[in-house]
Amino acid sequence: MINILLAGVGGQGTVLAAKVLAQAAQSKGWQVRTAETIGMAQRGGNVTSHVRMGNEGEQVHSSLIAKKTAQLIIAFEPAEAARALEYLAPDGIVVTASSAVQPVTVALSGGAYRASDVIASLRAKLGERLIVVDDAAITEAVGSRKVLNTVLLASALFAEIIDLNLDDLRHAIEICVKPRFIELNQRAIDIVAGA
Amino acid sequence: MPKKLLMGNEAFAYAALQAGVNVAAGYPGTPSSEVIETIAKLRASGVAQGVHVEWSANEKAALELVAGAAYSGARVLFTCKQMGLNVASDPLQCLNYIGVKGGCVLFVADDPGPISSQTEQDTRRFAAFAKVPVLDPATPEQGFAMMQAAFELSERYKTPVIVRPTTRVCHASAFFDIPDQTIARAIPEEGFERDARWVIFPGRSYQAHAEINERLVRIADTFGAEEPYIGFNPTEAIASDDAKVGIIAGGVSAAYAREALSMLEASAKRQGISLPSISFLQVGTPYPFPQKRVSSFVKPLEKVLVLEELDYVIEDELAALAGREHLPLEICGKLSGDALARGENSVDDAFARIQSFLGLSFSDEASPLTFDEPLPVRPPVLCAGCPHRGSFYAVKKALGKTPAILCGDIGCYTLGNAMPLDAIDTCLCMGAGITMAQGFAVTQPDKKNIAFVGDSTFFASGLTGVVNAVYNQHDITVVVLDNATTAMTGSQPHPGTGVTLMGANHQGIDIAGLLRAIGFECVVEADPLNIDEACAAVTQAIGFAGPSAVVFRSPCVQLIKPKPQVTVDTDLCTGCKRCITQIGCPGIGFDPDAKGIKSGSRGQAFVDASLCNGCGLCVQLCAVGALKIPAASACEGGAR
Repeated sequence: MINILLAGVGGQGTVLAAKVLAQAAQSKGWQVRTAETIGMAQRGGNVTSHVRMGNEGEQVHSSLIAKKTAQLIIAFEPAEAARALEYLAPDGIVVTASSAVQPVTVALSGGAYRASDVIASLRAKLGERLIVVDDAAITEAVGSRKVLNTVLLASALFAEIIDLNLDDLRHAIEICVKPRFIELNQRAIDIVAGA
Repeated sequence: MPKKLLMGNEAFAYAALQAGVNVAAGYPGTPSSEVIETIAKLRASGVAQGVHVEWSANEKAALELVAGAAYSGARVLFTCKQMGLNVASDPLQCLNYIGVKGGCVLFVADDPGPISSQTEQDTRRFAAFAKVPVLDPATPEQGFAMMQAAFELSERYKTPVIVRPTTRVCHASAFFDIPDQTIARAIPEEGFERDARWVIFPGRSYQAHAEINERLVRIADTFGAEEPYIGFNPTEAIASDDAKVGIIAGGVSAAYAREALSMLEASAKRQGISLPSISFLQVGTPYPFPQKRVSSFVKPLEKVLVLEELDYVIEDELAALAGREHLPLEICGKLSGDALARGENSVDDAFARIQSFLGLSFSDEASPLTFDEPLPVRPPVLCAGCPHRGSFYAVKKALGKTPAILCGDIGCYTLGNAMPLDAIDTCLCMGAGITMAQGFAVTQPDKKNIAFVGDSTFFASGLTGVVNAVYNQHDITVVVLDNATTAMTGSQPHPGTGVTLMGANHQGIDIAGLLRAIGFECVVEADPLNIDEACAAVTQAIGFAGPSAVVFRSPCVQLIKPKPQVTVDTDLCTGCKRCITQIGCPGIGFDPDAKGIKSGSRGQAFVDASLCNGCGLCVQLCAVGALKIPAASACEGGAR
């Protein structure tokens, strides 16, 4: 069983990312279930998408991941990586974007939220099990912030943590993404692979 | 047939279409909205032939509409969330006494948690209250099968049938074989046939009540004995067949329990111990309760654990059954404190509950990783550029220190309660703000009594309230937040937009004109993103004695193309945070490390390029002119 948790902020594109992963798993002939956060939390709240793949032919009963069982957490925002840690399997890997999304509550409370502080703490806790993606640089090189989800998926699959590769990703994107955005997303994968 | 990843609600839509549904109507509400949306999409693309689909003005309208269609022999589908069934309760209670001709399925989505709802009410209870059968799926696949079976069941017993998934089934996805085309079943040639039975009268209801009671007994037997219904109440033996303990689960908890059982088996195997024999039953047809099937399942057992969400429906039925049949059965569940009494269940919870139910303890399990430092909280907020932000700001500013009660309502704008807007004192149910303000006007006449209502909610449940305000001449101000869509549930059209799901669009119903027509003498229209105009409108309306209204019109940011983004002139920004503390737009952040001529080491505001949509509200608030709209758009007119 492969469990992947996608964590981010409402509006960042975790739902489509989950669909792409599900498609990639389906193409392998695995049973797959996903679950989404839809509703009020989508309005800038923290959201998660769960993706579960029966890669050894086993049945997937629940669409939600149990704690301590995610081989991979893909976080679209550092604080959301930290918030999702309880789902991480003992040998699981966290792939996180390095850019913060500032909640209004922080500025209002007079506090400060620095992505670098959260990433440093994650590093101390996870060591080599943390992969930080310079999402700002890559999305700028692609020329669109819209590909953030593909950049993170590509970074995670490039690291060969699970049995899906960048070709699987390319193929799934062709099926899941609107035709006019396919090329942009493929370019994002190229940049991640060449980085 | 090609395989496609479908969200539960999309699968329910396909199932209804494949069952030949002729008429589908509902009112949006999370987690139910995608069923009607999917049917509309498939109709528009030509996949679904012959189906009429609509967003009705509210749930009561939708259910009454489908009732008429079902009397004519059409297969009909009604959709809503659990709160919506309250609105449609009147027609439902009566419809069951009348019965139906064409299959009548009510898709009612429950929301344990609750995640996006006001209550944790249980539609299984509602079904029992209305004496209507209910099916409760554990997975999207099972839901698909139940939806198809529900039409058959409805026609066979001439009863409405409820299919009740919960959020985690509605919003879970799996792969399905999808048809290239669906065709609605032909409506019987004779159509609606006049008959005394279609007219509800006390005498007729007395007779119908007997028919209902009698058919419920037969349906319960059907659930326990016939395919496909018996397959909705599946049993499983774990380890071996001689179990003395059992688990009974309903809805998504059945999937959690199965998952937890396989995790327990793995844990036991790792530690070299063997699990006791356990028998497992899912009750997928909770009402009428499949007595005989459950009875034969529990007879060999000494002890059973019930896992279900919301109410203790299965647990109650089980206790009654054990009492009736004098079974020496120990029932563990919500009532005994052996299961969560509220909120969502989970695989983790099921794992822990089953473990303790079996008297096992896998103590070597490591506890989950946690992040020890404080993390920024991230509650949902009004979107960057949301016009409601301007409306709330204008009302608060126009009121100043005038004492007021601000009645909120259901929709995105409930988020107006958050700091710094802090513009909502009450929120009860759909449309309640308008009528509650009238109650306050009677008891708190020295205060301004203001009701915020969204455009879709206005049509769904606000009309009765505004009529009451005029009739009884209550001194209230209704503030309509017209963003030209039903935003919270994913941008559905409504009567004010004139956009229908059948493609025939019209002008839409004019809210201001409607209010004037029923007798509102003071109705002011304004752009909420123009602060001066918006404040003047509120001042005028609250100064009027009697029912008055402000109609704030500005489209939802999800519907419009963003304008050029606001920029911060770092030479001018003083770091005063006025832009943040006044309106709290997520498009503006504060960088405590930024340095500037005027701000020194206080830090500065910055614009989040992934969020700002250029609404310009903050530009009007900045006292030093540090926030700017790029010149190209500034000439497009006014502050926006």
